[in-house]
Amino acid sequence: MRLPRFFGKKRGHRRTGSQAWGSAGEAIFYALLVAAALCFAGLLLTGVVGLDPEAVGLPWAGWWLWIFTALIPGALLAFGGAGLVRTLRGWDKSEERRAAAETLAELLEPVGHGSGSPRELPGVPTCDDLVNSPGTILRYRLPIESPESWQLLGIGLFAALWNAVLAVLAVTAGLDLLGGRVEPVLLALLVPFLAVGIGGIVVFVRRLFLTTAVGTTQVEISDHPLLPGANYDVLLAQGGAGAVALLRLTLEMEESAAFRQGTDTRTERVVVWREVVKEWRDVRISPGVRFEAHATITIPRDAMHSFVSEHNAVRWRIVVHGRPERRAPFERMFPLVVHPLPPDIGGGRPEFAWMEERRR
Amino acid sequence: MTDGEDGCGTTRLGAPKVGVHFDHPDRTYAPQDSLTAAYEVEGVAVADIRAIERSVVWYTEGKGEEDLGVHHFDRLEGAAALRAALPAGSVSLRLPPSPLSYEGVVVKIRWCVRIRLFFTAGRDYVSEHVFDLGDVPPSRGTVERLA
Repeated sequence: MRLPRFFGKKRGHRRTGSQAWGSAGEAIFYALLVAAALCFAGLLLTGVVGLDPEAVGLPWAGWWLWIFTALIPGALLAFGGAGLVRTLRGWDKSEERRAAAETLAELLEPVGHGSGSPRELPGVPTCDDLVNSPGTILRYRLPIESPESWQLLGIGLFAALWNAVLAVLAVTAGLDLLGGRVEPVLLALLVPFLAVGIGGIVVFVRRLFLTTAVGTTQVEISDHPLLPGANYDVLLAQGGAGAVALLRLTLEMEESAAFRQGTDTRTERVVVWREVVKEWRDVRISPGVRFEAHATITIPRDAMHSFVSEHNAVRWRIVVHGRPERRAPFERMFPLVVHPLPPDIGGGRPEFAWMEERRR
Repeated sequence: MTDGEDGCGTTRLGAPKVGVHFDHPDRTYAPQDSLTAAYEVEGVAVADIRAIERSVVWYTEGKGEEDLGVHHFDRLEGAAALRAALPAGSVSLRLPPSPLSYEGVVVKIRWCVRIRLFFTAGRDYVSEHVFDLGDVPPSRGTVERLA
């Protein structure tokens, strides 16, 4: 019996390095974590490491100190134990066997009952969250996926957290001053902290004003999920007040791939197909009366369906791009789910007559 | 007949060669079609093999980490089972409706039949034979790269 090789080489996109050594390394790492946890717990239980609340200056802590201290070996034991079990369960198993074990329940299910569940359409995302809101005119109102909202939330959180830290520092410095002590380092730190804190609030308020001033955008659609080759009515409704130089409705498909680069996980997103469905120029929106317009979108016959796996995705969406006359442009996204065409589709539906032709 | 590629922690013990013959000569299948793949293992004695795994899987390729989905998997071990499956055998199944094969810019989805041989010496050898599910044309390229 030969030992596994330490080093392998790349053959095309695949590595030929030894999985056995990799698994052994993982197992040793997790085993060390478990051992460290057990040692730590043993030291605590035998009293070698003393936990005297009086000695550490926390006489009120009592059992709470014990519980808090037990968190460290507990976390090590849970993390190491789970990793060790996972590594040992996957030992000497091919990647197909491991993946098959994970999806065994799905494989045992018969195909072809109902429609739209992930088990019946592997790799296709469900659209339950996209069809639970009825539209006012068309069948469904699509949920909005606005990058501006996430940016606003991020800036708001940053401003709140930063100013909370600033408040703590300011109170500490104030108490020191009242007590007659001057901490020059703390006071020097407060100045740049205060500048960043005020800047965060200003940016947040400005963003909030810009985001809310534009008014809400709503998109409704006549059916969902979508199928290649079919047409769908779309209603665009834009609220707010004032003039919008341009409103553009586009349909696009995006690929995204998450990958590790060093210790970071990065995601690359690429739009690979885009169609301008309709544009409206010089739109005047009155307060209380939203702008409404209809359009028809068509998913190309040979389009790739929506696809989501752990690290990769193909996503469809409607994008509304607006350019108000006196404000910053905005972009709002409305996700769609496109299913692959069922092989038996056609009979009686004129929009799928081309499928019948293709089959013949 | 197609020659497979090896990889994934494998080695060429005794230089095995696995040929796979698909019942669709163009190796293109419609969703939910039935697929039959006949395979033949050459260049290795059956006595040197302790197990064989036959699977039909899809996996992603491209810039992202690889994702794998198993549609069909069986593992045969033991003398009687191996005698029936080696040196030649076949895999028959009904394909699922998705995911369809796709050649995108940063995401690619491939379907394949994998024959994995486990040798008594401890090593394994995998042979992979790609086929297409559906006929989605390749992506035409990047329209916009998003931040």
